[in-house]
Amino acid sequence: MNESIAMHANPKTSPSIWQAARQQKAFRQLMQAFAYPGRTLPLAEVGEDTTLLLLATLVDGGCRLADPQQQLNQDDLQRLGVTRSASDAADYLLCQGTRPLEAEPRLGTLENPEQGATIVLQVASLAQGSSLTLSGPGIRDRHHLQVSGVDPDWWIRREAWNAHFPLGVDMILVSEEAVIALPRTTTLRYTKGAR
Amino acid sequence: MNPGYELPLDEAAYSFGFLDEYAKREVRRTILKAICIPGYQTPYASREMPMGRGFGTGGLQVTLSLVGPGDTVKVIDQGADDSVNAVNLRKFIELTCPKVDTTEHTRDASLIQSRHRVPEMPLTEAQVLVLQVPYPDPLVVVEPSEARRKVMHGEGDYSRLLTKLYEDIVQFDEITISHRYPTRINGHYVIDPSPIPRYDVPRLHHCPALILLGAGREKKIYAVPPYTRAEPLVFDDVPFRTEDFRDAQGQRRACARCGTRDSFLDELIDDDGNKLWQCSDSDYCNSQLASGQDSTREVAQ
Repeated sequence: MNESIAMHANPKTSPSIWQAARQQKAFRQLMQAFAYPGRTLPLAEVGEDTTLLLLATLVDGGCRLADPQQQLNQDDLQRLGVTRSASDAADYLLCQGTRPLEAEPRLGTLENPEQGATIVLQVASLAQGSSLTLSGPGIRDRHHLQVSGVDPDWWIRREAWNAHFPLGVDMILVSEEAVIALPRTTTLRYTKGAR
Repeated sequence: MNPGYELPLDEAAYSFGFLDEYAKREVRRTILKAICIPGYQTPYASREMPMGRGFGTGGLQVTLSLVGPGDTVKVIDQGADDSVNAVNLRKFIELTCPKVDTTEHTRDASLIQSRHRVPEMPLTEAQVLVLQVPYPDPLVVVEPSEARRKVMHGEGDYSRLLTKLYEDIVQFDEITISHRYPTRINGHYVIDPSPIPRYDVPRLHHCPALILLGAGREKKIYAVPPYTRAEPLVFDDVPFRTEDFRDAQGQRRACARCGTRDSFLDELIDDDGNKLWQCSDSDYCNSQLASGQDSTREVAQ
């Protein structure tokens, strides 16, 4: 898609992320991440921006994206072709892990729980930091992982948002090169006070 | 119109996997939400495919949204790789997805699209099973209004479905559902697991592979994530039963072709009117036959 625009793409990221074949590969990694929550799956290759590749794979004019911390530049937003919206009405939210969200995301309704938002959370690292223990569908027993660059407020609020299944939000943690998915069904235990 | 006009090549050609990128992206978003809410029938805009609804268009749209160069696809219909539906879908994938391999061997496949069976060979984490679904909602037999069914699903209220099963037991001493047995996923949503036999239902439970179910006509996608509880709806005092393949002497019947006694069998009637039983999974039957021949050869040597 949009190959003519991609010619003048952001010099920070490779134009390949706008191509269909690249997005297919990225989606398969992303689907693995959702099927096996907690597993770190490499997404971007050299020269690619993970967040932008993830968004290019998932969003288009058919959904609403909120970028409350203005992390995307105008050009990339135009290339994504996504409808922008406020945080409380968005299908996809792009947030930084270090800054708690000021609004309440959509949780869906009992009849339509799929309308709960997907939060793309940028984190510093998925290899070190405070430990989390995960359990739930897609995890055989328990899964341990380390994340740094996430304000503990996110975990407290995630628990509240996901307290009434099937309502809830799904999260994708994005580091510089990899992703971890946390569907609403994943139960998360963490050491309080750790950052 | 100019009779000599020809479409420019790039407009005449289809994109990889037939579906356009916007359609694929929507199916992909739906798949992720379906995994996040195990068993929930996630609505999506099912596209027109160049085949009739009911021929696996839902499964096919899921497969085409997933597939990419490097994948190996297997298509089965009632366990067989060589029936009309399977051959047609496989040919369509070969036609529209260059650089995608197809196979008949479960072991070699990364993507398996299936109608009415879960392959006999245990699935692995490296595989995805896509099931074609004709009727996604198990509640349709007790509640005609979809709006009300959605509320019932959300609340996890399956009392009327359980009443139907109870009435079966009262009338026939047996729950009379042979296939599409209502199955509860992760303790909340009850799904129609597509018309797989009862034999396959326990094999969804804690399966290492992701299972995606696509209903094209009803425009729904739902999922059984890996390592997730999948429990058939039963009563405490009436345990779930699978198909009984024992003969009058209580012996488990063997496949007439390969001799195995641990597979799901189809009942056939030969030209003389005799009944015989044969593996429903053709690849499993062939591999059993091949390994059996290997061992007889070893014995002969």
